[in-house]
Amino acid sequence: MATLLSAEQMKQNSRAPGEVEVSAPTAWPLVLAFGFTLVFAGLLTSASVSVLGAVLALAGCVGWFREVFPHEHEEVVPVVLREVSIATKRRVVERLPVATEQVRAWLPLETYPISAGVKGGLAGSVAMAVLACAYGLLRTGSIWYPINLLGAVVYAPSEVPSAAQFNSFHPIIFFIALILHIVTSILVGLLYGAMLPMFARHPIVLGGLIAPVLWSGLLYSIMNILNPVLGSHIDWVWFMASQFAFGIVAGLVVMRQSRVPTRENLPFVLRVGIEAPGLMPPRENGEKRP
Amino acid sequence: MSAITTPVAQRPVNWRLPYKGNVGMACLIIAESAIFTIFVVAYLFYLGKSLTGPTPREVLEAPLFYTICLLSSSLTIHLASRFLERGKPGAFLALWFLTIVLGGLFLFGTGQEWHRLIYERGLTISTNLFGTTYYSLVGLHATHVTVGLLMLGIVLLLGLAGRVGQEHSARVDVLSLYWHFVDAVWVVVFTVVYVLGR
Amino acid sequence: MSSDAIAVQTAGVSADRTWLQTLHEWVTTVDHKRLGVLYVFYALIFLVIGGIEATIIRIQLMRAHNDFVSPQVFNRMFTLHGTTMIFFVIMPFMFGFANYLVPLMIGARDMAFPRLNAFSFWLTALGGTLLYFSIVGGSGLYGAGSAPDVGWWAYAPLTSRAFSPGHSADYWTIAVLVSGFGSIGTAVNLVATVLSMRCPGMKLSRMPLFAWLTLVMSGLVLISISPLSAAQIMLLVDRYLGGHFFDTQAGGSATLWMHFFWIFGHPEVYILVIPAFAFASEIIPVFSRKPIFGYPVMVGATVSIGFVSISVWAHHMFTIGMTSYSNSFFVLTTMIIAVPTGIKIFNWLGTMWGGKLQFKTPMLFCIGFLFQFLIAGLTGIMLGAAPFNWQLSGSYFVVAHFHYMIVGAILFCIFGAIYYWYPKITGRMLNESLGKLHFWLFVIGFHLTFDVMHVPGILGMPRRIYTYEPGRGWDTLNMIITIGAFIQGIAILLFLANLVFSYFGGSKAGNDPWDGWTLEWSVSSPPPVYNFASIPAVASRRPLWDLKHPEDPDTHYD
Repeated sequence: MATLLSAEQMKQNSRAPGEVEVSAPTAWPLVLAFGFTLVFAGLLTSASVSVLGAVLALAGCVGWFREVFPHEHEEVVPVVLREVSIATKRRVVERLPVATEQVRAWLPLETYPISAGVKGGLAGSVAMAVLACAYGLLRTGSIWYPINLLGAVVYAPSEVPSAAQFNSFHPIIFFIALILHIVTSILVGLLYGAMLPMFARHPIVLGGLIAPVLWSGLLYSIMNILNPVLGSHIDWVWFMASQFAFGIVAGLVVMRQSRVPTRENLPFVLRVGIEAPGLMPPRENGEKRP
Repeated sequence: MSAITTPVAQRPVNWRLPYKGNVGMACLIIAESAIFTIFVVAYLFYLGKSLTGPTPREVLEAPLFYTICLLSSSLTIHLASRFLERGKPGAFLALWFLTIVLGGLFLFGTGQEWHRLIYERGLTISTNLFGTTYYSLVGLHATHVTVGLLMLGIVLLLGLAGRVGQEHSARVDVLSLYWHFVDAVWVVVFTVVYVLGR
Repeated sequence: MSSDAIAVQTAGVSADRTWLQTLHEWVTTVDHKRLGVLYVFYALIFLVIGGIEATIIRIQLMRAHNDFVSPQVFNRMFTLHGTTMIFFVIMPFMFGFANYLVPLMIGARDMAFPRLNAFSFWLTALGGTLLYFSIVGGSGLYGAGSAPDVGWWAYAPLTSRAFSPGHSADYWTIAVLVSGFGSIGTAVNLVATVLSMRCPGMKLSRMPLFAWLTLVMSGLVLISISPLSAAQIMLLVDRYLGGHFFDTQAGGSATLWMHFFWIFGHPEVYILVIPAFAFASEIIPVFSRKPIFGYPVMVGATVSIGFVSISVWAHHMFTIGMTSYSNSFFVLTTMIIAVPTGIKIFNWLGTMWGGKLQFKTPMLFCIGFLFQFLIAGLTGIMLGAAPFNWQLSGSYFVVAHFHYMIVGAILFCIFGAIYYWYPKITGRMLNESLGKLHFWLFVIGFHLTFDVMHVPGILGMPRRIYTYEPGRGWDTLNMIITIGAFIQGIAILLFLANLVFSYFGGSKAGNDPWDGWTLEWSVSSPPPVYNFASIPAVASRRPLWDLKHPEDPDTHYD
């Protein structure tokens, strides 16, 4: 059931009419409400109050009914036309023509998908591992040294292998370190992918500079709690270097991914995946849409 | 800026909004459904928890005939309002009257059942939990039927006086919406009281 | 039809009318604006009454073994205070503002059903009057008394004939039942108005958030006040016809009443707070000079709050011993409701962020609301965890929590709304310095009372006790709480004085004192009877912004 404003009504509405019909004041709703309340109040006081209430309520019903049937009772109010100026009271500012079309916010039209972050994270993990193993080779002559340091995180301090054993290969520790490294890299990659839309223009700055500094700072403050063994053996210069390597490689990999359009500017129906023709009406003033 | 009396914006050509009577009745139905839900929950919660007899199995008989009366009145009122919409007041009045007769039969059936329960079976509202919940739930529904019949009766009288025309069909539709609701509630009450409850 | 005579009378100058004629006009009015004002006026009267009751409670608890009132009177005071503040202060406030503002905001000339509107108002008003008739009718406050003393949730079996002889419990039941019918009528009317009375172009996605939130609130009223009415009808059946719904002697269940009451009771909290959100969502953008942040998310969050709020009721009942599954369910739903609520807080902050903030009185109250609502929400999360609740349920910690919500969040928003829309309703500005004084006094009083009130709760002070033993560490705290209550009382008196004096002597407001963006600011203050000489058409969420800034209208981005 729907009512359609007729063309006549529309025309009538567009100009201010001389008088307007509004519902006429009436006391019957009050009488009905009073009667209704008295019916209940009779339960608290005496039955005669209820009887009075019922009579009033009946009168109210009849009166109200006559008010709306057969025609709603309306009164005519003359319109007092007043000049109303709708203007802001604050300064009106001149707008600089910065673009052919003014837009209030610059939203990136395209950005990297989250999967780009994950791929970058995995690529960065390889770079990081290579650099870390190079550090082990140069410092102690064994590529297993950094791997054992990382894997030692799961052992209680008393069960940590002695320093001499750090240079040899332990399959279980290797396995643990591998899992840890991959999982952490993927998680950092995911975080990276989620942050990408905020820094959509500069993946290298994000990956190569901001993320490693944040990450290293966080680790520097909690390393002694997280992994005391690594914390006591760590070389922070090399650590930072490997973090930067991670970030730069991740950034490079991200840059090679293809961008996808952002969805902020799309209508809701499109974002929820409904595809049908005519969902996006063409704009009259030729405004561009992503 | 120039003085403008009212905000000017381009008026949409087709501006359709739902009819306020239907929206209002739908809201009322939502509120009434919540009330009935609470009474139905209470009925189901107290099933079989009465400390004394009689139990529903002993005393209740499904009022099939009167149920059919009430449910078919939904059909007659629907047809009546369709006839009014198409401008056939005679057919409208006849079917409207039939609706009232069917509704009246249903009320008579409820009254008969209550009489039997009270005077033959000795079940009153204060006998046990079953009595309390049964009379409240069925009584609440019967109250709604009574109110509905009163309103239908007023429309019938006005119709006989020739005051109900095609232009009132939207208002009559609102009333028939209420009547459909009363019927739908009976389906729930019947299922709960006479099918599940026994 | 003698409409011409009436028309002249309505349009005529007010000076040549006797007070009787004016009274007649107000009593018979079906105009949504006048009914809105009546609602607010009525709520203000009951605010004073409820405030006096709160003061009596606080004076009684000021020190140990005080005998300012008898235990019986104390019981009646907290029952009346709770019932009054919920049903006859905050709900009429909210309905009043919704009545006044919704048609103006959506470009309509009146509500969908003007006469139903008047009927609903009078039911609410007469319900409140009936509640207070209990004090003067019969023996009132003294002896066995007829004033209700069963607490505002009237738990069974306390309400049974055996424990509440006379009519004291019936007064509570019937007064609230009658006003409940009024609330349902208003809710029906508001939903129909919002859905069927919008001006051309006012799509649902362009409605002011106020109208959206009113729609959600009215929907909640429909599905939650009616269960209360149903339960109260059952209670009446028990008390008058000898039924056994809540009669534990005959197999009835007292727990069922608790369930029924809280199925109403918890959505009720959201019925009260969603309009407060609506006020904040209108006031904060205007005084931040920025459009609301995340409009669709705000709507979605409100709707989801509405839905989730009907499945959390039993977190009021953790101490009755439900199964662990029920406990976990209600803990989880309670935690979930924090998510949309948090989204709303972030969106208000997002609106203020980077905006050009103006610290006028309405904005001050809304900022106070943001802080206090957050804390109230956090203590709510604490109480929503079943084990914590087992420890503190029924203590003053709970009292502090819900007063933080109702006073700190809801009442603050109501004050903000009054300061914001008073110019529109009366044509006069409220005094700004008095308003700021009111705000600061009220903030100080509020925090003194309700921050401190958490502590005796944690120390084990139960709610609803009329006195306590000295030396339990509660004495000083209770004294501080009472002092805070008095400061709040002074602030409210200042506010009332401001309302009265500004009505006669306030500076002229003009149509649009705050440089607002919604349609109500496009008509004169106070608006004419017919609201809009010609029905407006809108093309964006901020129609007045479009007119004020034709070089950069919202319509480009809508």
